[in-house]
Amino acid sequence: MARSIKKGPYVEEKLLQRIGVIIRSGDKRPLKTWSRRSMVLPEFIGLNIAVHNGKTFINLYITENMVGHRLGEFSPTRTFRKHGVATDKVVALK
Amino acid sequence: MPRVMGVDIPGKKRVEYSLRYIYGVGPSRARDLVAKARIDPAKKADDLTDEEVTRLASLLQELVLEGDLRREVQGNIRRLISIGCYRGSRHRKGLPVRGQRTSTNARTRKGPRKTVGAVRGKEARSAVKTE
Repeated sequence: MARSIKKGPYVEEKLLQRIGVIIRSGDKRPLKTWSRRSMVLPEFIGLNIAVHNGKTFINLYITENMVGHRLGEFSPTRTFRKHGVATDKVVALK
Repeated sequence: MPRVMGVDIPGKKRVEYSLRYIYGVGPSRARDLVAKARIDPAKKADDLTDEEVTRLASLLQELVLEGDLRREVQGNIRRLISIGCYRGSRHRKGLPVRGQRTSTNARTRKGPRKTVGAVRGKEARSAVKTE
């Protein structure tokens, strides 16, 4: 079920504070965050945000089209290694 | 066969059903349109009077249908792909977008089955590796 409009978009408080600071200071360094569940607000446009994917931070440049999506959508957590290739590990098991 | 909206020629069926042949008109919209145009839903599309057809056409004019709708949907998908989000990557890979399982099923998105089994035999494996 979608989130109630009444509540407005969800952004983690702490992230919002840090973004406020960045906007005021005009800092260009990417902002590291673990808050994948936070929604991208129009205020974020033009910022560099590095979103954690469980292992590393993925650098993101926020564009207008990204508004309304959550930060985690841009930071994939899984790596797909191709099918049907005999890796050393598989060979050793046989 | 009455022609509503240019090329759409819904068949010899009741209006409420024949309208669904238009891309963008489904069960609820069809019922809605018929009611708004004050047409008997049981009437066959062929038996519509010219006046009824024009009433329907003017109602359809207000909706995004057919080519325009298809283009809108395509544009939405293109946007998802261009911003590099998860849903975009699923569209790019031709896999289900809304979190369905892919271990089995998902044939609508994936298309006909293609076997990708392990490579048998030592020589074949090294051949694949050096590729």
